[in-house]
Amino acid sequence: MSTDRVVAPSGFRSRNLGDPRRHVDVVLAAAVGAVLVLGLLLVYSATRRFEQGTGYVVRQLLFAVVGIAAATGVALVDYRRVADWWQALYAVGIVMLVGVLTPLGTVVNGTSGWYRFGPIALQPAEFAKLATILAIAAYLGSVDQVDLRRLAGALGLLGVPVVLTLLQPDLGSALVFIVLGMGMLVVAGVQMRHLGVLVSLGIVAILVILNSGALDDYQTERLTSFVSPDGQSYNVDQAQKAIGSGGLTGFGFTNGPQTRGGFVPEQQTDFIFTVAGEEFGFVGSSLLVALLAVVIWRCWRAAQLAADQTGTLLCIGVTCMFLFHIFENIGMTLGIMPVTGIPLPFVSYGGSSLLASFVAVGLVQSVHMHRFS
Amino acid sequence: MNTSSTQVRLSAIGIVAVCLFAALLVRLWFLQGVDPQRFEAATESNRLRVIHEEGPRGRILDRDGRVIVDNRTMIVVALDKEPLRRLEDEERTAVFTDLADTLTGLGVPTKVSTVERRYEDVRYAPQEYVPVAEEVPEDVELYLAERAERFPGVVVERRTVRSYPYGSLAAQFVGYVGEVNETELASVEGAAVPLAADGTPKEYQPGDSFGKGGIEFAEEASLRAVPGRRTIEVNARGELLGEVDRVDARPGDDVWLSLDLDLQAHAERLLAAKIRSLRGREGGEGTLNAPQGSVVILEPGTGQVLAMASYPSYNPAILVNGISTDLWEQLNDPNNGRPLYNWALQGAYAPGSTFKPVTALAGWRAGIIGPGNEEYDDAGTYRLGNCEGAGCTFQNAGRKRLGTVDLARSLAVSSDTYYYRLAELLWINRLQFGDNPIQDVATEFGMGRPTGIDLPGETSGRIPTPEQRREAFESNPEVFMTGEWFTGDTVITSIGQGDVLVTPLQLAELYATIATGGVRYRPQVISKVTRPIDQAEPPGAAGNYEVVRTVTPEEVGRIEMDDDFYLRVLAGLIGVTQDEDGTASRSWSASPTAWTMGGKTGTAQVAGKADSALFAGWGPVAAGVDPEYAISVVIPEAGFGGDVAAPLAFRILAPASDGTLPTACTIAAAGQCRDADASAAQASLRDVGSGGPG
Repeated sequence: MSTDRVVAPSGFRSRNLGDPRRHVDVVLAAAVGAVLVLGLLLVYSATRRFEQGTGYVVRQLLFAVVGIAAATGVALVDYRRVADWWQALYAVGIVMLVGVLTPLGTVVNGTSGWYRFGPIALQPAEFAKLATILAIAAYLGSVDQVDLRRLAGALGLLGVPVVLTLLQPDLGSALVFIVLGMGMLVVAGVQMRHLGVLVSLGIVAILVILNSGALDDYQTERLTSFVSPDGQSYNVDQAQKAIGSGGLTGFGFTNGPQTRGGFVPEQQTDFIFTVAGEEFGFVGSSLLVALLAVVIWRCWRAAQLAADQTGTLLCIGVTCMFLFHIFENIGMTLGIMPVTGIPLPFVSYGGSSLLASFVAVGLVQSVHMHRFS
Repeated sequence: MNTSSTQVRLSAIGIVAVCLFAALLVRLWFLQGVDPQRFEAATESNRLRVIHEEGPRGRILDRDGRVIVDNRTMIVVALDKEPLRRLEDEERTAVFTDLADTLTGLGVPTKVSTVERRYEDVRYAPQEYVPVAEEVPEDVELYLAERAERFPGVVVERRTVRSYPYGSLAAQFVGYVGEVNETELASVEGAAVPLAADGTPKEYQPGDSFGKGGIEFAEEASLRAVPGRRTIEVNARGELLGEVDRVDARPGDDVWLSLDLDLQAHAERLLAAKIRSLRGREGGEGTLNAPQGSVVILEPGTGQVLAMASYPSYNPAILVNGISTDLWEQLNDPNNGRPLYNWALQGAYAPGSTFKPVTALAGWRAGIIGPGNEEYDDAGTYRLGNCEGAGCTFQNAGRKRLGTVDLARSLAVSSDTYYYRLAELLWINRLQFGDNPIQDVATEFGMGRPTGIDLPGETSGRIPTPEQRREAFESNPEVFMTGEWFTGDTVITSIGQGDVLVTPLQLAELYATIATGGVRYRPQVISKVTRPIDQAEPPGAAGNYEVVRTVTPEEVGRIEMDDDFYLRVLAGLIGVTQDEDGTASRSWSASPTAWTMGGKTGTAQVAGKADSALFAGWGPVAAGVDPEYAISVVIPEAGFGGDVAAPLAFRILAPASDGTLPTACTIAAAGQCRDADASAAQASLRDVGSGGPG
């Protein structure tokens, strides 16, 4: 019996050093799993007072199972195979974003950002984010130097979904596109002067948008209420009360008075972090922040270790997307960021976000696993 | 594959990420670690509502424990402003519209504009529930409770309010309850807060109820419940999640009155009927308007009030939900006879001849009249000595010649000249008898100042003296013609005219004191205060209450009257009813009481108006029998006392004297009442102020 031909009994681990299945980022998987479990608990606590009660957490769990399956599938496929299809995938993402603006889409809270299939609602922006990351990664990953032409091309790829999400209007998602795009451009090696011009143009654009009336009143209000905290909205006020009253150790699971009384609007989705703050206190909520930091760290590390520029850009795109989601979502509940409706990855109730987040982690795992092949 | 430049750029992203997470954690620590208490208070005001519960007021009972003023539960639909404030304007308007439509559909007509006005009414504190519909039926309560989701911020409350089983009976006497005003609130603050028997303070909050008159006011401290407090947890929609803390309210103490409800009802009924029959008739001195009237019945040996009727009356039930300006004006309109007034102690009238026993005692004490020196020839007119002109002659009613009268007969047939002479002799010999011999006796009997009855609002009446007149003139020479007191002033004072004013209560007290032979008691209406044991059982049932306080009769004076005088006065006052030519003998024969009564009629002249009719007396009068009832009847602008007031007094006391007093009728049982007249009278009394709840 030859020692280097022993097959592991499980059949999963291969002795072949190049086998991607040997290079799963277990820390990333574990951190995501822990965040998911915490998230399910928080969704349960935030929704138990509703009539459908456990219905929310059951549906969230179902999406998680589908998400884990999807992530596993995506991870096992070499991201380079996926990147080869970037034009098609990007096109699908854009078509979905266009379609949602037509009567096919459903308007929720003034935003036409959903497809509704019976009890299930899909938010195409969540998937378009992944398609865009993939497209920019593939488009810029194939070259060593990003010249102006490439930069313009990448900006074009980025600009279409930004404009489409602004049309919904979904300011939060548009910002996510801009942030992940900027992150990828920085890492892709865009020249600093180009970047400087770009940022300047961006600032001018923001001022023009704010003053042009293109945004709905409520959006302007949210942004300006952040700038002048006196006019803090009811949501933010209640969110801070919930988090603040949690103190060091919190009121305990399902015992938060603000949560039980339903004083924080949208608590199971955008304001889910307030449940952690109120019921688990600083100890619990900082643990959640820490676990999310681990997720970011592992995604960033995958970018660093990636075998090629496409892999690096793919991972940094996901990193920036998550980072912005996390910072913006938690930051708004803490009152240091304006209120925009973007979910906390793996925590907020919502199938599209959860599914997309898992697929994103799957892509990062794929880059990590295929770095030797 | 990664170039070093890419690594640098990646590091930049990493540093940004670390900074962002650090920012999150620092902010998180700032919120949760530094001073979490400040947020706890804020979330408590979010979710905790402290509901002040006033608790049921004590009830008011008659001498037999029958409930005159009771409590009932009223269902109120109210707004909890806190959750409503959180709604968008359109959502809130939608809730209000839905609420108004729903209430109207369920038979409680409600306007959206009313609901909105109440919601915006700044007089309600943010934490306070704002009532939008009172007196809603129970099915509305159920309907709204089952649809709490649809009506965020709408609460249904049960409030305890007053109910009046006997309608308007004894209305001015028991008073009414209304929302406490700032002055009243200030009067019960701090050290002045009423205490329960065990020393628990009965604290007030704006919006609480407060006794506004009569017994409700006088016994506010006893009747008020020890308030309770409920701390409840509500969710963002104002729905009840649970009770955090509860201190139950303790019902107020019950107040027992000396009142005999049957006698009260009977007196009110006859008084109302009499006044209605008088109105519009022509009397000697003008139209009989009889704008008001009162009857007071005291127990002579204790001073307890057995009945106190004041006309016109009103049903205090109309004031339960607050009072509109319209209704308030109606109830205080002199053209309506001021139904809110208790004329028995707030009205002051010239007593006329009913005052004569006072003058007689003054003359007797001075020695002007006495045994063997009491006869006088009444020629019908009297001319003052040393006096020339028309103003020097005074006359009997109708200039009637009465011939030789002694003291007893002067009362029985009501000779005026007999008293004119006494008065003149008293005044011209004032160096010997003092300025005020008559006034001093009147004061001894309690006139000219409040009797001290345990009811609010009592007026003093007036016993005029030379000194008073001088002072009044000196302080205000423009208003008064003169500061001087003339012989004629004493002369008209002697027959209860001129400036003399007494309240019907003082008049009843005068005759109660005569009835007891000179022992004067403070009139009182409250006999005891009890704490109920079982609220559900009748409060008057034996063994169902603990006595907190008993009010005992209080002697406030003894009037010296020697036997010779007293026997003559008795003979005279009995003669009023029993002698053939006694001033009340005709009406006596028409409706006598079962036992003999003594008393005196009075017909007081009032400038420009018809005469006031008065009668005051007592019964039974017999050797060795205690007097049971002293009565005064006063009806202004009504004609002769002997024709109007005396027969009313007899008819009121007749069934009491032979034990045939009809049982007072509750409103609920009015249909089955023996005396059909009773319910008719009740109904017409309720008409006063029929503007409806305010």
